[in-house]
Amino acid sequence: MSKTNVENPTALETAFDAAFKSRSSINEAQAAAYDRFTQLRLPNRRIENWKWSDFATTLRNFEPANDVTELPVGASPFDHLKPLEFRLYDGRIELPHEDMPDGVRYGIMDAVATIPELENNALANLNVALARKSLGIEIGENVQLDRPILIRHIISGSGFSFAQTMMRISANARVQIIETYEGQSAGLYSHLFHLVVRDEAKFNRAVLQQTGPENTTHAICAAKIEGNAEFNQTSLSTGGRLCRHETHAHFWSPNSKATINSASLLSDERHADFTSETRHLAPHCQTRQLHKGVARNRGRNVFQGKFYVEREAQKTDAKMTANALLLSDTAEANHKPELEIYADDVECAHGSTVGALDKDALFYLQQRGLSEEEARALLVDAFVGEVMSEIADEKLRSVFETQVQNWLASS
Amino acid sequence: MLKIDNLKVSVGGNEILKGLSLDVPAGEVHAIMGPNGSGKSTLSYTIAGRDDYEANSGEVLLNGDPLFEMDANERAAKGLFLSFQHPMEIPGVQTMTFIRTALNAQRKARGEEDISAADFIKLVREKAKLVGLDDQKLKRQFNVGFSGGEKKRMEMLQMAMFEPHFAIMDETDSGLDIDALKMVGDVVNALRGPERGFLVITHYQRLLDYIKPDAVHVLAGGQIVKSGGPELAIELEKSGYEQFIEAA
Repeated sequence: MSKTNVENPTALETAFDAAFKSRSSINEAQAAAYDRFTQLRLPNRRIENWKWSDFATTLRNFEPANDVTELPVGASPFDHLKPLEFRLYDGRIELPHEDMPDGVRYGIMDAVATIPELENNALANLNVALARKSLGIEIGENVQLDRPILIRHIISGSGFSFAQTMMRISANARVQIIETYEGQSAGLYSHLFHLVVRDEAKFNRAVLQQTGPENTTHAICAAKIEGNAEFNQTSLSTGGRLCRHETHAHFWSPNSKATINSASLLSDERHADFTSETRHLAPHCQTRQLHKGVARNRGRNVFQGKFYVEREAQKTDAKMTANALLLSDTAEANHKPELEIYADDVECAHGSTVGALDKDALFYLQQRGLSEEEARALLVDAFVGEVMSEIADEKLRSVFETQVQNWLASS
Repeated sequence: MLKIDNLKVSVGGNEILKGLSLDVPAGEVHAIMGPNGSGKSTLSYTIAGRDDYEANSGEVLLNGDPLFEMDANERAAKGLFLSFQHPMEIPGVQTMTFIRTALNAQRKARGEEDISAADFIKLVREKAKLVGLDDQKLKRQFNVGFSGGEKKRMEMLQMAMFEPHFAIMDETDSGLDIDALKMVGDVVNALRGPERGFLVITHYQRLLDYIKPDAVHVLAGGQIVKSGGPELAIELEKSGYEQFIEAA
């Protein structure tokens, strides 16, 4: 046994070890990442940043199966937007079957080396150690892509898979990315998205997670945002056994903007976690963050948002709001807004609320003729609608609004 | 039309209405006046079907139908409308969408077809003009950022749109200026007819200058303690409620 083996490994950790050792070649970064993972192990609730999303306990009895069956992939709700479509089947990359639009380059690349700011993130290290290849996409300078790029994460196996995407948005380019997490399998899926948004570029990302109730997903987006650039993100998740979306946005140069919005709609025992850290490292940057979580039955909503403001990052303007709506007594919301500020001339604010549906509003709507069910749906739709309304593209927004309505109708 | 018989209602363990009886025949407007805490809002919430406002005894019939067997929305579909004393703001809900959804929900419950988009727009514009709300207000989220007076106008807009059989107006006049009071009178008077009834709950006689009631009742201590014609309202304005509080 090598020194990287952990004490009393679970079946899953033994399988990780076998997967790592079966790699045809292991570079230094991968070896170091795996070494860090074996030190850190799967995060559990005793680690502050993971206390509400305990992967170790959730996956304690997870027996990874090696049963990748490629099911026929259905239509995407985004098809009518005529996207340039990429697929990651349990991490295996499938490129579009069409010519590349001008100014777009893509291909299958070597996997990403460690991202320094994620060195203490056990699951990021595991991804670096085990992902075989990375989907690479580059948008050239001044390219204004008129079609969205769709990345479909198709999770079909009940084992584990590790996927990566690397994207570079060159100076003054504009692009809309859509990511969907799909599939009813009970597998563990990990995706590491490494993004660079160059000067004056505008990057919009929309994420829709609609996986099965037993799915475990960990998705990280690490974005380096350069000067006068824009990073806008809206995510909607219906959760799973344990689904965590992490966003690490770093402002490296002045005058950039980020919007990091998210919403979760959680039924049964589903769990969704939106965790983010926005690091303001240069002056005059602006961040807006809005989270809306809805949970019914025993759904569990987690939001952790952190604004870090470096001493040099004067005139940072950052606002964070997280609201949760609990539709039953057994639903749960855990929010942790956090500010860590070293500059003295900044405007930073955060607010967090957790509540139930307003009984006065419910009665008002019922008096006007809506059934209790219709009244509830209207109020929940309005609650989540605030996040959806910030999606700039009307057609894209409409797809997200429809997904919310579908969820409401499924109750 | 609306018949209330020996109604007793407790809220949070306290009996608020203590055997209230009242009969509003079709085609009539009745006013209920009374001091604070006499049970006026409890009466309107109970008739409209709010949870937590359940009758211990007694019944309320609308055109012979027992209301307590229906949910609030079913009562609305039967033509019962409550103009709220404190109308709600509903963030995230577009005004036009909401009114249309509500109107169609009522129509559907009555087995009627949905109103067409064109007919709806025409109707809502016409009624908005009647109640003095400009079109820009209709494009906003429901009541969000509206003044107290604008919210009351929005109540009257809905009443004019829904054309209910029976409307309860819970202190619609509070916070309104003279022009707005006149507007409320215009909306009610336009709807008045042999098949409709109104219950106007108010503290003051002022609104009754614009809506001539057929009868006035004094509610105190959870019961109707005196009934009379329009002259009773004028008398109350002069003498106050004190005599009734003591009597109750």
